[in-house]
Amino acid sequence: MPDLNEPPLSSMQPDDFDFAFKTRRRAALKEGFLGIRPAIIPTATWGLVTGIALVKSGLTEQAAVIMTLLVYAGSAQLTSLPLIASGAPLWLIFAAGFIVNVRFLIFGAALQPYFKSLPWFKRLAYGYFTTDMSFVVFMSRFGHAPAQGTQEQRWFFLSMIVIGWLTWQISSLLGIFLGAMVPSAWSLDYAAILALLGITIPLANTRPMLVAIIASGCTAWVAQPLPLRLGLLVAVVVGISAGIWAEHRLNKGRT
Amino acid sequence: MSLSEQDLYIAGAIGFLTLCSVITRASFNLFGHRIPLSDKVRRALLYAPAAALTAIIVPALLPWVPGSNAALVDEKLFAAIIAIVLFQRTRSTIIMIVGGMVSFWLIQALFSFW
Repeated sequence: MPDLNEPPLSSMQPDDFDFAFKTRRRAALKEGFLGIRPAIIPTATWGLVTGIALVKSGLTEQAAVIMTLLVYAGSAQLTSLPLIASGAPLWLIFAAGFIVNVRFLIFGAALQPYFKSLPWFKRLAYGYFTTDMSFVVFMSRFGHAPAQGTQEQRWFFLSMIVIGWLTWQISSLLGIFLGAMVPSAWSLDYAAILALLGITIPLANTRPMLVAIIASGCTAWVAQPLPLRLGLLVAVVVGISAGIWAEHRLNKGRT
Repeated sequence: MSLSEQDLYIAGAIGFLTLCSVITRASFNLFGHRIPLSDKVRRALLYAPAAALTAIIVPALLPWVPGSNAALVDEKLFAAIIAIVLFQRTRSTIIMIVGGMVSFWLIQALFSFW
């Protein structure tokens, strides 16, 4: 981490200032790279699988490319595929994407103090390019920092999100073009379900969460004849209620 | 080039999903403290993603249509069970996806010989 005890920039001569500024910036950008480096291979693998799944689940190459470049959210994209394939209404696709992405609201609440001094378009950009991994790495490093919102912290973050964006986009575009070449008989659309399983299973790490997942899964299975894939919404409501109920019961059992 | 209804539908889906990304990721940065997020709401939000993801996966693995005689379980379910076991053993999503895909092909081949 860059030394926080160095003299304030304003007390230096212009030449020193420029040099110190660049040195500090380079150090912070490098720290960001080192922080996000362990996530590069997993991110690239996800991107590749998501790219393949997009074209193998019925999207044209063109639509898949536009979706990946604009949406930039693997789990929401994978979630939308079965909904798009069955012609679900757009508001339900929006709702499903929102629910899957809702973790970013909570991340955003934690990150907000670090960016609040910036103009609105920069706050928008820092928010939009936030990823799971950059959030986790950033908070584990600066979550207890005495000062929140320093220039170093933002350079660190910027370095991570640029690398994250490049890694994801290059790998998922590669996946889209690979996917378009692979015959449909290979059933690579099944990889999309496996990828979703890979996101979901690690979430089942507490007992209430497991209860929520089982309740939602059973409801979703039973509710399949509902029109417009509305079973999804019913299952989410049942799952959330079951999770909160299980949490209450466990807390009572302990006291 | 004329846009078909399907093209517009896909474009709409992409537009709405983009909106999802912007709203969920940037709204706190943009509007900060003006967004109420009580502990109760936070707790509910904790369970929402897992519930939604499960509700997408289950019908994909175990589809059924009322009045149809089609088999309830097929290679998708068996391969998924193998994939889950692989993940529990190795904690690696890469092994899980590759292993699940290979099991899917093997079980499919097995079924076609039956």
